[in-house]
Amino acid sequence: MINDKLVNILLVEDDEVDVMNVKRAFSKNNIKNPLFVAGNGVEALEMLENNIVPLPKIIILDINMPKMNGIEFLKVMRADEKLKNISVFVMTTSNEDSDKIKAYNLNVAGYILKPLSFEKFLSSVATLKNFWQLCELEHN
Amino acid sequence: MESEKNYLEELNALKKEYEEFVYIVSHDLKSPMRAINNITTWIEEDLENIEDKGVLENFGLLKNRVVRLENMMNSLLELSRVSRFEMEVYEVNIPHLINECVEMAIGNSGANFHLDIAIESETITTLGKKLQKVILSLFDNAIRFHDKEKKDIFVAIKETRDYFEFSVRDNGPGIPDDVKEKIFSIFYTVNSKDRVHTTGAGLAITAKIIKMVGGTLSCFDAKDGGSIFEFTWPKVTLI
Repeated sequence: MINDKLVNILLVEDDEVDVMNVKRAFSKNNIKNPLFVAGNGVEALEMLENNIVPLPKIIILDINMPKMNGIEFLKVMRADEKLKNISVFVMTTSNEDSDKIKAYNLNVAGYILKPLSFEKFLSSVATLKNFWQLCELEHN
Repeated sequence: MESEKNYLEELNALKKEYEEFVYIVSHDLKSPMRAINNITTWIEEDLENIEDKGVLENFGLLKNRVVRLENMMNSLLELSRVSRFEMEVYEVNIPHLINECVEMAIGNSGANFHLDIAIESETITTLGKKLQKVILSLFDNAIRFHDKEKKDIFVAIKETRDYFEFSVRDNGPGIPDDVKEKIFSIFYTVNSKDRVHTTGAGLAITAKIIKMVGGTLSCFDAKDGGSIFEFTWPKVTLI
C-alpha cells in the first residue's frame, strides 16, 4: 500500500524520447510515484479539468511544445482555482533568459535544463526526488 | 523616403530570420541530438556486459561525436551572438587582466608565460568581457596546440596614441603558410579533431570580436618556428 503515500506526478512533454528519459531516470532513481503523461498543454488541461488523471501534486513541464506551449499552459493553470497551487518544475532545452523570467514570474518551483547526457539528467532527477519526498511528508 | 522604408523593412525581416535561426540551432536541433545521446546510453546499459571491444569502442566514438556536435552548435551560437551578449563597458586594468588570463589559461599545462608590458595608461574603459575572451582564447590556443614539453609563451603589450598592441608568441609547431588564412574560419582545425580536443571556433569568435571593436588581428611565423598572434584594441570604445 506504499503507493498511497506517493504523490502523483504529471509530465507534460511532447518528445517521446524525453518521456522515456524521465521514465528511465525514475526507475534508475527508484522513484515509484505514479507518473502520468500529457503530450502538450491542451492535452494536460483536458486531463486535469475532466479528472481523467488524479490531481497531481507536481507537474514536470516542457516549454517548447506544439499546440499550447509550457508558458501558455502555466498562465492558464495559475488562473485556475483548482490547479493554481500545484508545484511545477520546468524541464526544457531553452536556456533563454526570457523563458526563465516568464517561468519564474508564473511561480515555478524549479527550472531544469535538459542536459546532453543521461547521467547528468539522472542526478537532476535525484535532486527532484528529495523535493517530492518533502511534499509527501506534508501530504500525509 | 520610400527606399528608406524598404531598407528598414528588409533589415527587420533579416533580424527576424536571424532570431529564428538562433532559435532553431539552440532548441530544435538540440532535441534530436540529445535523443541520440540518450538512446545510445540506454542501448549500452541494456546490453549490460558488452565484451566485444569493437562494440564498446564504437559506442565511445558515437558519444564523442554527439558531444562534438553539441560543442559546435554552442560555438555557432556564440559566434552569432558576439555583438549581442556580454556588451558591458567598464574599467579594465590591463596588467591585472593579463595576470588573470595567464592564471586561467595555465591550469596544469606547465606552460611558462613571459610578460613584457610596456604601457603607460594601464586602465581603459572598454568591453571588458570581450577583451578577456580574446586574450584568453589566444593564450589557450598557444598552450592547447603546443607540441613540446617546454612551453614558452611570450606576451608583449605596447601602446600607440589610439590603440593597445598585444602580441602572443609561442614556441609551438607553428602554422603552415597555406592554412594561415583558413585558421580564422569557424570549425577549421589544422590537425584532425581526434588528435587535439578542439571545436575549431575560438579564432573565428576572436576575429569577430576584434573586428567589431575596430581592431586588427594577424598571425606570423616566429623565428624559432612557433607562431605570433598580434592584435590591436582601440583605447576608445565606439560601440
